[in-house]
Amino acid sequence: MTFLNPLLLIAGLGIGLPILAHLFTRFQVQHTDWAAMQFLNRNVRVRSRQIKLRDLLLLILRCVALLLLVLALSRPAWTGDSWLPGERRAGVVIAIDSSFSMGHGGEGSTRFDEALKRVELISGKMVPGDPVTLVLLGDDHRVLLRNMAYDRERFAEALQSGKVSPESLDLGSVPKELAELVTDMEAPQKEIYLITDGQSRDWKQPSAQLREGLAALAAEAELFVVPVPGDPTNLAVTDLELVSGVLRKGTTARYRATVRNFGVAPVSNIMVQCRVDDAQIDSKVIPLIGAGASETVSLFVPFHNAGATRITAEVTGDMLPADNVRRTVAVVRDKVSLLCVDGSSGDAGRLVVAALLARADGAQSEDYVVRAVPWLSFPAEKLEEVDVIVFADVPEITEEQAAQLTRFVRKGGGLVWFAGDGVKVGAWNERASSGEGALLPARIGRVVDTSDALGAGKPLDPEMPDHHVCLPLLSLPEDLFNETRFLRQIEVEPRASSFSVLQLAGSGAPILLEQSLGRGHVFMFTTTAETAWNNMALTPVFPMVMQQIVTYLAGRKFEGPRTVGDSLTLTYVEQPDASDAVFDTPTGETITVPVREHQGQYVALLETAPEAGFYEARVSVQAAGIPIAVNVDPRESDVACLPESELRANLEGLGAKVTASDEELAAAIESTRTGRSAWRFFMIAGLAFLIFESLFADRLLRRGPSRQDNPATREPQNA
Amino acid sequence: MSVYLPETQYLDPEVLQKLGDLELVAREVVEGLRVGSHRSPLRGFSTEFAHHRQYAPGDPIRSIDWRVFGRTERYYTKLYEAETNFDCHILIDSSASMSYGSGKVNKLEYAKFLAASIAYLVLKQRDSVGLSVFDSEVRAYMPPRSSMGVILEIDRMLRVTKPVPKTTVAKQLHDIALLMKRRSFVVLISDLFSDVDDIMAGLDHLKFDGHNVVVIQPLDPYELEFPFKGTWRFEGLEGEEPLTTQTDRMRESYLADLQKYLDDLSSRCVGSHIDYTMTHTKRPLDAVLSEVILQRQNLSGSSVAARS
Repeated sequence: MTFLNPLLLIAGLGIGLPILAHLFTRFQVQHTDWAAMQFLNRNVRVRSRQIKLRDLLLLILRCVALLLLVLALSRPAWTGDSWLPGERRAGVVIAIDSSFSMGHGGEGSTRFDEALKRVELISGKMVPGDPVTLVLLGDDHRVLLRNMAYDRERFAEALQSGKVSPESLDLGSVPKELAELVTDMEAPQKEIYLITDGQSRDWKQPSAQLREGLAALAAEAELFVVPVPGDPTNLAVTDLELVSGVLRKGTTARYRATVRNFGVAPVSNIMVQCRVDDAQIDSKVIPLIGAGASETVSLFVPFHNAGATRITAEVTGDMLPADNVRRTVAVVRDKVSLLCVDGSSGDAGRLVVAALLARADGAQSEDYVVRAVPWLSFPAEKLEEVDVIVFADVPEITEEQAAQLTRFVRKGGGLVWFAGDGVKVGAWNERASSGEGALLPARIGRVVDTSDALGAGKPLDPEMPDHHVCLPLLSLPEDLFNETRFLRQIEVEPRASSFSVLQLAGSGAPILLEQSLGRGHVFMFTTTAETAWNNMALTPVFPMVMQQIVTYLAGRKFEGPRTVGDSLTLTYVEQPDASDAVFDTPTGETITVPVREHQGQYVALLETAPEAGFYEARVSVQAAGIPIAVNVDPRESDVACLPESELRANLEGLGAKVTASDEELAAAIESTRTGRSAWRFFMIAGLAFLIFESLFADRLLRRGPSRQDNPATREPQNA
Repeated sequence: MSVYLPETQYLDPEVLQKLGDLELVAREVVEGLRVGSHRSPLRGFSTEFAHHRQYAPGDPIRSIDWRVFGRTERYYTKLYEAETNFDCHILIDSSASMSYGSGKVNKLEYAKFLAASIAYLVLKQRDSVGLSVFDSEVRAYMPPRSSMGVILEIDRMLRVTKPVPKTTVAKQLHDIALLMKRRSFVVLISDLFSDVDDIMAGLDHLKFDGHNVVVIQPLDPYELEFPFKGTWRFEGLEGEEPLTTQTDRMRESYLADLQKYLDDLSSRCVGSHIDYTMTHTKRPLDAVLSEVILQRQNLSGSSVAARS
């Protein structure tokens, strides 16, 4: 037996001890000599044995009553069989997987609907007053009821508010969350019901940490894993990305949509529709997607207008609508203007312009302008008319120019910087590489020789990060890729905020670094644009990389779609006038967030994007919105469920019970709910003893002479 | 404060006990009384005619013997023997029941202080004091004497007497009455825990013999209040069978019976023209004596009126 209020038990016994002492001393017999024996009523004589017996009986009754009441208040509980009567009581935590895979299924028969039926079965076996907690599991778990005394109506009301969310399930954090919830409860027995579709991706190979967590949970409470599996059939648009083209008004960009068949059977004739600002502009049919395979389609998106453009790719006719749409935002420009500031003798500028113009038509247009100017002409340029600036071997810039460039990038401009023999290290470090919010991603060091013993330069490392700039290089043949050699580079000290895009093979020294600054980005080459230190300009790598950089900078690829649950940020160039920013959600809700300073920048942060769709971020209530695309996590689209036998096998030894059917669940509850609480029994028994003791004592006292006026303490009487 | 003598200073029996010397105790008590300045009424009066003398102007008219006038047509004043000398006889109950005391002074000791104080008072008047100590028998008897040595004798007699249970009071009073040769002022100090009829029989015998009888009944405060709680075993001092009882259930009947007994005793004494005073051992002695004296004064007046 345990006690749910053990302190009350100790306190109760502590109170009882003086009472016991008092009662004990009361039935001891005292002695005295006495002269006035003739006035003692011998009819009231009590034999000492009779006194002892009667007082002992009263003492026992009082002690038993006190003990029973203390026991009742300390809420005794036990599990297992016992001869003592007691109600079956249990504290219950019901955790329902509410990730979007639980929305899989037909109308009214989704996995989540099945989960709700299981909840009804579980709640049907609860006793009013038992503590109950209801939590929806996802990426961010939501507690609907916490340690509430079970009331059927209130519980049903809370359950109705439970819905499938667009989040994925963070299974690793579930044991910790449930452990906290179950620790809160006081009950003779605790039970946890984890209702989930049991996706294979989560449960097939549970991590050691998850297993430990579940075992710890099972040690604290009866743990039931209630699978509600479903059909594994699911099609999802898992990716939508810009493949080529500059996002410029009047141009057409090519997007690639990836559709995956997560089911176990092939699916044919999948229609993929592309919409721009809700208008369908393209559609393609994928003839066949094999089971577990992905197929891509190219979607051509014409840009007739400048500005932010919402693009979606969608499939239809699926049992899980949440992942049938993929979204992205394209920032279409009226024109793209690139300016190359050439600090060399002219070679660098020419090579940069050539690389940027290296396209099928090989010509500029009025909407795509690439210019090279000597670096001494830089101050005369109007930067607000330029989208991307390339600095090639520029010796130095003034303080004012550095500030100007910083503002340019923060407003959304792009900067590409090349090293060179003419670069004055000290000046650049002082003005553009120092302090928080510095322009360049790294401090510049000395020039080092990167050639090998034979005098050949080092190639690029073929292991490249998943970066837009590297995408075209992945399709380059190896021999062509290795043609690019680097003889010399500058040593750099990268900032913590920078990212290495390309490195040298072997040493791993960065060749290309990137950092974000405000709403813009900066790319820094640690080598030259011209062929003084490398032969990059003479290979396909240079134009591919340069064009990707321009596409990335101009198309604001870094402002790509987010995933549900991610945070959304709005970065300001300068300190804003308004102290709050506004995010409009896809369902029309408006969320206001404060603007805060962070590492020299002003940022408004929406901590979690709760829905999938297009958000509008506004610097103030009145300002125009900047769209942000939020998609569901495609990993959750793999809705295949682990077979029940495998699930049981995987959870073997952890103390968790898998109940695959209603009958099995009901039987498991019946057999394991052995927790009993007997406080009512003890309370009633205690009160009964008290009443009986009072009646008994009163009856014994009534046997004496009737009460009369007591003249006890009076002055002696005279005749 | 005494109702009768508000200015009287009270002498606590427990304080007096510390004095040790009984004569000193008696003097302290009596001198305390004299501060109140009143005449001691402890003078006997008697209807015993002694002789006549010729009437002189100033003699009380009530003392004129009118029968003699009828025969002789001359005025003669009657004189009584009590105005010439006076014996006070103190009877002390030293039975086992008198040995009970809830405080430092038990009933017997209190009786001793009372007896000594009365003796001192009488001896100061140059009258005589006699003493009898009794329990189941008369243990000691001292004929009346007029020296202060009587007080020491009281102390000695009570010290050598071992308390034993008594059965009746009447027999002892009868025996004492036979010992007294002349009419006296008799003071009985006893708790009188006996049958009322038996007590009155003894007292009435004394009255019949012409003695003036004063009864002082010292009791213990516990006997009056019965403050016991819980379960008690009472061991009788007069040889009664012990009793174990629940005192809460006993108290009311005890107090009722005691009160009935005291009322009965009091009324019977009044009916027999016996002064009766009940007191308790915590009551200051001078207060008790003052009340006895005052009562005696009142009774003396009424008795003379009755006689005349």
